[in-house]
Amino acid sequence: MSLIKLQGITKAYQLGKTQVPALKGIDLAVERGEFAVVMGPSGSGKTTLLNIIGLLDRADAGSYLLDGEELAGRDFNEMAGLRNKKIGFIFQSFNLIPVLNVIENIEFPCLLRREDKKLLRARVERVAEHVGLSHVLAHKPDELSGGQRQRVAIARALVTEPEIVLADEPTANLDSATSEQILDLMQRLNADSGVTFLFSTHDPRVMRRAKRVVQIADGRLVDGQDAAAANVAVLGAPPH
Amino acid sequence: MPALLAIATRNVFRNRRRTFITAAALVVGIFAVVSIRGVLNGLQGAIIASTVKGMTGGFQVHRAGYLANVLSPPLTLDFALDDPSLAGLAKLPGVTAVAPRIMFGGSLSVPKEKEEDTPEPLFFMATAVDPTLEPQVCPDRAGLMSAGSRFDEAHLLVGEAMLGTLDAKLGDEAVLLAPDRDGALNGELSHVGGALKSVMPGELKVAQVPLAAAQRLLRMEGRATELAVAVKDLAQVPSLVAQARALLGPTYEVHAWDDVATDRRTFMQRQNAISALVSVVFLLLMLLGVANTMLMSVLERTREVGTMMAVGVTRAQVLLLFLLEALSLGVVGVAGGLALGTTFVAALGAKGLTVTPPSATVALTLYPSSSPAFLVVVAALALLGCAVFSLYPALRASRLRPVEALAGR
Ligand SMILES: Nc1ncnc2c1ncn2[C@@H]1O[C@H](COP(=O)(O)OP(=O)(O)O)[C@@H](O)[C@H]1O
Ligand SMILES: [Mg+2]
Repeated sequence: MSLIKLQGITKAYQLGKTQVPALKGIDLAVERGEFAVVMGPSGSGKTTLLNIIGLLDRADAGSYLLDGEELAGRDFNEMAGLRNKKIGFIFQSFNLIPVLNVIENIEFPCLLRREDKKLLRARVERVAEHVGLSHVLAHKPDELSGGQRQRVAIARALVTEPEIVLADEPTANLDSATSEQILDLMQRLNADSGVTFLFSTHDPRVMRRAKRVVQIADGRLVDGQDAAAANVAVLGAPPH
Repeated sequence: MPALLAIATRNVFRNRRRTFITAAALVVGIFAVVSIRGVLNGLQGAIIASTVKGMTGGFQVHRAGYLANVLSPPLTLDFALDDPSLAGLAKLPGVTAVAPRIMFGGSLSVPKEKEEDTPEPLFFMATAVDPTLEPQVCPDRAGLMSAGSRFDEAHLLVGEAMLGTLDAKLGDEAVLLAPDRDGALNGELSHVGGALKSVMPGELKVAQVPLAAAQRLLRMEGRATELAVAVKDLAQVPSLVAQARALLGPTYEVHAWDDVATDRRTFMQRQNAISALVSVVFLLLMLLGVANTMLMSVLERTREVGTMMAVGVTRAQVLLLFLLEALSLGVVGVAGGLALGTTFVAALGAKGLTVTPPSATVALTLYPSSSPAFLVVVAALALLGCAVFSLYPALRASRLRPVEALAGR
């Protein structure tokens, strides 16, 4: 059974009196342990798609199965609980809570589930160490570099042990060296612990590392492409 | 939930300037409310003391139906002072003294050597009191006598204004005329002993007459219309009134001091109402500041709300977060205001505040004080107000849709 199965997902935004279609019927399956990228030009619908998968927004129509469970049409509080339990987010602009320090930011989603604080601390410190933050645990986000902030976000996304981590253009605000480090980290996490990652990007560096690339254009998935083909399409023929 | 509380309190100190201004407004407002009430407590304490010790005693005994006729004191509703049922009154525990009185209306003239120089007799309301018993119940009456006055079996006191009109001086003969309890006009000779000062504005023409002279004038020897009773502790008055009622039975009526001096009670109630109104206006102004601060805080933090929602914070928790933030702000302001206000009131109370009410001749020394119950009510209302006035911003934040909040919209 696929971890995620989307069928016929559509979404339109209301702009004044006109409807702007953003997704025009998406069918997509994501398997456990994937390290997949949704690739497409700006305005193609990447963010909209990830928002729907992340239960931040609702599709207008279609079916969304997570772990075989139909999630379309859940109410807000159910969606909040499901996000907390099953989904980790990594945002383009990090989105940490400024008044909380590193360790508090990482543990925050777990506190919402009323986890025992002592047991939690140990796990949080382990995750923080895993992403290379051990030396800045007491720092506030505004005392950290962009790369460190994104590591905090990654730790926060992982600490709840979610089914899937969604990352909407996670490297867009980082320089290329830092981007590479962050991508290394996520790749390692995927390889070591089998966490499922789904990215959106239009950054070829991200795409190059993906095991699978899903192309989106104008609200529709472009069929029949695997990572290699996408690489060819975007980067030209690989050197032999 | 402690994590939300931590975020809320830290957010209060995030924008220090705005927090400072809002909290300062709360401090000033609470300070003003506490100070006004404190001074009023002092004023009312002085009014109560001067009423009880200068006029009414702790409670009074009359014949049943007497106070209902108070505009024209009915001499017919009198009683014999040797009525055996009255004997137990002075023995009630907590009662320290009992003084008989007669309230009556009459006229007074001070004859001059030449008859054409003699001013018209003046109508007055008189309180006839016993020169030795009365000071045990109303010691402050002495303070109302102008300097050098005499009040004894042969001397009476008249109000300052009246004394001037009569063109009288100490020792002048004074002729009292009054209808007795059967309606027959009678006369009695006394002497001008001095002037009575007025405490409260708007006092009528008044006189204080020795009880024995009044009893002869009114043909009421051995009788009185009123017993003023002194008590050790004013807080005991309601229970003593009940005991006295049980003791005296239905031929007598017993009233606490504030049921006798209803004008003063009304006056103080009006003061309370006005100060409550002023306090509420102050409170509302402060709370508008809180509402404004919270609205700005919500608008600035839209994306943060989106982030929290993304990691699983529910709408109710967002609402709670901003309410906690407003309450934290409120606690800071209220605590500061209460501390400053009570300190100020305590300082005034220790020093005493001497004021002369308009048109009164006697200076009053007030001892302002704060009552804990009032402070609790003020703090509770202010904090409740903080929550209520930040409800709109908090609801607004909680109703954001996650995607829109994340996009900062
Ligand atoms: N809140 C919105 N209101 C109106 N139109 C929107 C909104 N969000 C996105 N769109 C439109 O939907 C389409 C897809 O947007 P988006 O999912 O953000 O694409 P991407 O992330 O690939 O750049 C675009 O045409 C965009 O203009
Ligand atoms: Mg986007």
